[in-house]
Amino acid sequence: MWIVLLITHSLLAFLLLGAITHQTLSVWAPPRSKPGSFLARARAVPSTSYVTAVIVLYLLTAIMGGYIYTNYRIAARFTLEQGHFWKTFGAFELKEHFIALGLGVLPAYWYVWKSPDAAALTHTRNMLTTVLAFVGWWGFLVGHLTNNVRGLGT
Amino acid sequence: MIRFRTFAIVFAPAYAVLYALAVFNNWALFTYAPATGEFGPLLTPATAGPSMYWYGWIATAALGGGALAGLCAFLPESVTRRMPACLTWGVPIVVILVFGYLLRGYFLR
Repeated sequence: MWIVLLITHSLLAFLLLGAITHQTLSVWAPPRSKPGSFLARARAVPSTSYVTAVIVLYLLTAIMGGYIYTNYRIAARFTLEQGHFWKTFGAFELKEHFIALGLGVLPAYWYVWKSPDAAALTHTRNMLTTVLAFVGWWGFLVGHLTNNVRGLGT
Repeated sequence: MIRFRTFAIVFAPAYAVLYALAVFNNWALFTYAPATGEFGPLLTPATAGPSMYWYGWIATAALGGGALAGLCAFLPESVTRRMPACLTWGVPIVVILVFGYLLRGYFLR
């Protein structure tokens, strides 16, 4: 069961990364003309339409990760400690705190994208999107790295 | 909408600071024992296996931040309009950097 949950968690994180990365690119480097290249098209997405998806995916991924974390705590964590994988261990400790901090910015993130005075909060919107993108990327890469220490189903 | 604006602008930094304080002082609202599946209030030691405080820290920060932001939402608009929106991302970034600094030992071994 844990393997199914872990793969589902990874897929949700993957979807979240796609949405938040598109959005981050679009706010910091919007295309100036008709997009032609792959990168220009990645930047030319309608960013506002991603907001609800990002929030729902963040919450689902965090809730599922929080459930899987119980298994990590009684099994995989000891492997990391006994094998002296301190960098991976530390990166996962940071992941746990970063994900928790990301939860706290979600109401502000929603407000700066959806409110009527969103135009006056452009810099705040860009920074909050970037914070969530950083947390998402950190969580995804560290989760993948930590899983690689033991591998699925071992 | 103006009340939600105030709530969101206060909640993000308040939650981040309270989460950091909860971690550093171990102010967990509840404890979970993953080996037995038991929950206990505050810092209840697990009867077997490790104790997990992470969920309790999040609950502490969410409740505290939510209460503070909820109260601030009822302040007069003349006051709340002056609350800088940059706190919503500035404070979480500072807290992220603080955690990175405090846990740097794992990367220097």
